[in-house]
Amino acid sequence: MIEVRFFATFREGRDKVSLLEPKDFKTAGDVLDYFRIRREEVAILLINGLYSPADTAVKDGDVIALFPPVGGG
Amino acid sequence: MRYERQLLIPQIGQSGQEKLKKSKVTVIGVGGLGSPVLTYLVSAGVGRIQMVDCDVVSESNLNRQFLHHTVDIGRAKVLSAQEKLASLNPEVQVSTVNQRLNPDNVKEYISGSDVVVDCVDNAETRIMAAAACMELDIPLVEGGVRGFYGYVMDIGKDYPCLSCLGYDTVKQKTPVPVLGVTAGIIGCMQANECIKLLLGIGAPLYGRMLNYDGLSGNWEEVHVKKAADCPIHARAEAGKRGK
Repeated sequence: MIEVRFFATFREGRDKVSLLEPKDFKTAGDVLDYFRIRREEVAILLINGLYSPADTAVKDGDVIALFPPVGGG
Repeated sequence: MRYERQLLIPQIGQSGQEKLKKSKVTVIGVGGLGSPVLTYLVSAGVGRIQMVDCDVVSESNLNRQFLHHTVDIGRAKVLSAQEKLASLNPEVQVSTVNQRLNPDNVKEYISGSDVVVDCVDNAETRIMAAAACMELDIPLVEGGVRGFYGYVMDIGKDYPCLSCLGYDTVKQKTPVPVLGVTAGIIGCMQANECIKLLLGIGAPLYGRMLNYDGLSGNWEEVHVKKAADCPIHARAEAGKRGK
């Protein structure tokens, strides 16, 4: 399975973690499309802790973490 | 005695307190994160603290930026904060930089700091501060907030930075929604990391992004990796070689 972990406001209206069938997804971008998250909404996309562009291939066992932009003050 | 309670902590004691007194910290941004960071570093007795901000206090700051009060609206944030911090602990030297950091001045201002704490509200300054800290080999405590959520992470030249995580391409919509409490919680965590780094105690959050969810009441750690092609790490290396 592919594990998708949502952080901050990406959690709203979703579970914190979703498990996906790897055969249904070729890239991280496909995962974003599935959850209707636009590329520009994502500040950080990690696959197994490593920054990955949306066109990165995904496979069984991957953990994807998604973060929106944050502020400071 | 001002520091009595923290002198009782075995990891601090008299020698740790002396170390804090001899330390210099630069805090970039005197807003929602900067307020708790500065308050707790000053009350802990960090000897020299430099704060950087070019903004003035506005009414919409007051839900979270507790160093500024209603009477301070329109005043420079660094001056408003300096007044309260001097009253809190006159033993600490608090200096101010009422300027916007830019690539030409950032290294000059942060040079000589033992730790830099990033409390800014824009991705551009975050990346610029991270690059300068790595080049000068100064640990950086990073924090960010949004709504009920936030994160804290330590950054160093041998560890992942925001650019490693692809954060430099972020287009941030402003204003970012923030609850004052969230900024307070994350700012307190940043102050805690800063004190750990100054004293060389505990396990700093290098390579560990600690995420706070105030709605569900959870903290979750995400292990992050340094990118092999990170432009900021490359720039820091090139800057060092150029010296």
